[in-house]
Amino acid sequence: MRITCPHCGARDVQEFTYLGDANPQRPEGMATTEAAMHDYVYQRDNPAGRHRELWYHGAGCHAWLVVTRDTRTHAIEAVDTANAIAKGDAA
Amino acid sequence: MADAVTTAWTPRGSWAGILASGAFGAAGQPGITIEARDGLCIASLIAGDGHHQALAQALQGRIGLDLPVTPRIVSSTRHDLVWAGPDQWHLIATDRDGFDELLRDLAPLAAVSDQSDGRAALRLSGPKLRDALAKGCMLDLHPSVFPVGAAALTSIAYMGVHLWRIADDPESGDAVFEIMVARSMAGSFWSWLSASAAEFGCRVTATGRG
Ligand SMILES: [Zn+2]
Repeated sequence: MRITCPHCGARDVQEFTYLGDANPQRPEGMATTEAAMHDYVYQRDNPAGRHRELWYHGAGCHAWLVVTRDTRTHAIEAVDTANAIAKGDAA
Repeated sequence: MADAVTTAWTPRGSWAGILASGAFGAAGQPGITIEARDGLCIASLIAGDGHHQALAQALQGRIGLDLPVTPRIVSSTRHDLVWAGPDQWHLIATDRDGFDELLRDLAPLAAVSDQSDGRAALRLSGPKLRDALAKGCMLDLHPSVFPVGAAALTSIAYMGVHLWRIADDPESGDAVFEIMVARSMAGSFWSWLSASAAEFGCRVTATGRG
């Protein structure tokens, strides 16, 4: 599998580290319930198909990426930098 | 007491005890030439939030180079600016003259860190260089996709490397690459490179520093 880093171009997957699902949003710790925090920390979907996930280009530009990948085929639909998504710049 | 110890230290080149001038590997015309790039002044620059334009202007004014926003290196006779990640660069100078002042003047616009003693760099060329690098470098370094001025951050044999292509050798016409690694990796990188390059025959130019 190759991931096309928006900064570096297409690179072998061994240059990257996988973190996991990019969708969970950390609840506000002082305000949320124990159950909601438990879900945020431990509960993950395990889809057969489209998955938005965080990858780190540790052997390249050191950027965090959000990769949209089909878990059945490894076909990659989109790669954005997590930075651009956080700033609301991503497509 | 501490001062007495400190004055006993002597500068030591990053390839001291690792590289020795001469030939190794297959006999005959060398397929690969290797030259130590000791004594470079190197600083990492990370643009401060919202200061990218000001940093670019300051560098254009001081050293006449444009900050590359893609993985590239731009060079003048005394300086290089090489892309080192998003909003990050290495500023390289061939001598110390004015370097500290330059870094001081850039400090309000960027996180500036002197890396001169923290990196080890080699200049590599020769008709067989790409064959040797291909044993560990996952990037396609063919001229059609990696032109003069291209740069990349990648890994070779599990070591982080920063590499770029400078102008071709004017005599041989061969492509010329420079590879920079963390200084603590110099010995390990040399172990990989010398083993990978030996079958092509190598000529080494160490600087003799340190
Ligand atoms: Zn990258």
